[in-house]
Amino acid sequence: MDMRTDEIMARRTRRQRNLAIVGTVLFGLVVWSVDVTVVQDTDWARIGSVGEVLEAAGQFGGVDFSLFPDLLGPTIETLLIACLGTALGVILCVPATWFGAMNITPFKPVTYPIARLMMTLSRSVHEIVWALFFVAVFGLGAMAGVFAIAMRSIGFIAKMSAEAIEDIDYGPVEAMRATGANGFQVMLFAILPQVLPQVIGTVIFEWEINIRRSAVLGLVGAGGLGLVFFRQMNTFNYYGVTSVIIAILAIIFLGEAISHAIRRRMI
Amino acid sequence: MAVLEVRDLRARYSARGPEILKGISFDVEGDDFFAIIGPSGAGKSTLIRCINRLVNPTSGSIVFNGHDVTKMSSRDLRLVRRDIGMIFQEFNLIDRMSVMDNVLAGRLGYTGNLRTLFRMFPRKDIDHALHLLDRVGLTDHVDKRADELSGGQRQRVGIARALMQDPKLMLLDEPTSALDPKISREIMALVKEMAQELNVPCLCNIHDVKLAMEFCNKMIGLQDGMTMFAGPTEQMNEAKLDEIYAMEVL
Repeated sequence: MDMRTDEIMARRTRRQRNLAIVGTVLFGLVVWSVDVTVVQDTDWARIGSVGEVLEAAGQFGGVDFSLFPDLLGPTIETLLIACLGTALGVILCVPATWFGAMNITPFKPVTYPIARLMMTLSRSVHEIVWALFFVAVFGLGAMAGVFAIAMRSIGFIAKMSAEAIEDIDYGPVEAMRATGANGFQVMLFAILPQVLPQVIGTVIFEWEINIRRSAVLGLVGAGGLGLVFFRQMNTFNYYGVTSVIIAILAIIFLGEAISHAIRRRMI
Repeated sequence: MAVLEVRDLRARYSARGPEILKGISFDVEGDDFFAIIGPSGAGKSTLIRCINRLVNPTSGSIVFNGHDVTKMSSRDLRLVRRDIGMIFQEFNLIDRMSVMDNVLAGRLGYTGNLRTLFRMFPRKDIDHALHLLDRVGLTDHVDKRADELSGGQRQRVGIARALMQDPKLMLLDEPTSALDPKISREIMALVKEMAQELNVPCLCNIHDVKLAMEFCNKMIGLQDGMTMFAGPTEQMNEAKLDEIYAMEVL
């Protein structure tokens, strides 16, 4: 018999054994986490039989039409929170973008890290957490929602805009400097026109996402449809919950349609 | 007195980098059309950018109308730049703005920030811009976007923008190398005509020696950052040209 066959056989056995060990450990981990998070943490008595589960889900299978007139106000409020929040976010983005674009940041060792911090903070904190924070600051109502949306929007818009600025053509910059223009004028004439289409595209994209976000902010008291949703849940009016979901879907579709139309016109 | 006096100009892009300009001296007088010729990499672009300090020279002096540009604060420098029009190889227009706005951009040095923000240029600037656009032959293109124009038309916008500054000196950085030969000649003729009419001396980087001989009255020939020839165009000849462009042949 060939010695090499033994060697290959041994290697394959070792590999099978290692796979078995890894597989067993992984399986153990899955079993343990299901046990801890699902088996021990679920109120099995409340769930009851399969039929009862289906029945509970079926409670949502209808629409409370009488609720729709009352949804109009909150729906508009949700849209407005998204619009105002995006607008405020765009304003807050101006310093973040200016400081965050490597090629125009005024004093790199200080301003660039500030901008990166703003961007990271904005994106790593969830909109619900931002809303909780602003509800604590401003009290209940749509203003907290507007600020939450604005803070959450800074990161993405500023990052995309700063990257667009880093990619500009320097020819116009040179030409404007040669006319005796100051830094502000160079930004307005040489930089802004080059990045504007991309910035507008990003803002519209973010606005569309912000409609989704503002629809849930009411859950923590920051205005809009979320509050109605929360109330229907608490009063066990599940058909009403479905009505709210329909309203949310409607404005999301509206937002998508508008953003699609604008973006197609820009290209 | 010369409008521009350059003395022993030296430049390098980084402390340890190679010296791009190795002591260049020349004078541009009131009615000169002054050519800088030489092969690619000779330092022509660097030289012309030192004049309005788009590139900062490392030593030497550049005296423009009696003031040394090399030692100026950025505030004074902006005032000097208003008096120096510049035309670029790649035109460097703002593509997404109208021809009119591009020409008006030549007035930025005279315009406040608030007016700039709303593009509220004074009536006389718009008047002047229309007049210049008539002169460069773009009467029918005033409201078009700059990126709708052909190369030759775009360079005409560049000329109008530079003249909009009421310059005391024009810098031309390879104004024709992105254009075909026929358009190149038209553009050079237009610049020369306007410069003579407005009494503005021109300093022009140009690698096309034939065009330089045809339009310029003086020239310096650069090779590897050093002056190989300086004098009136008539003194230039084949032998000297061969010497200047020798490195390119190699």
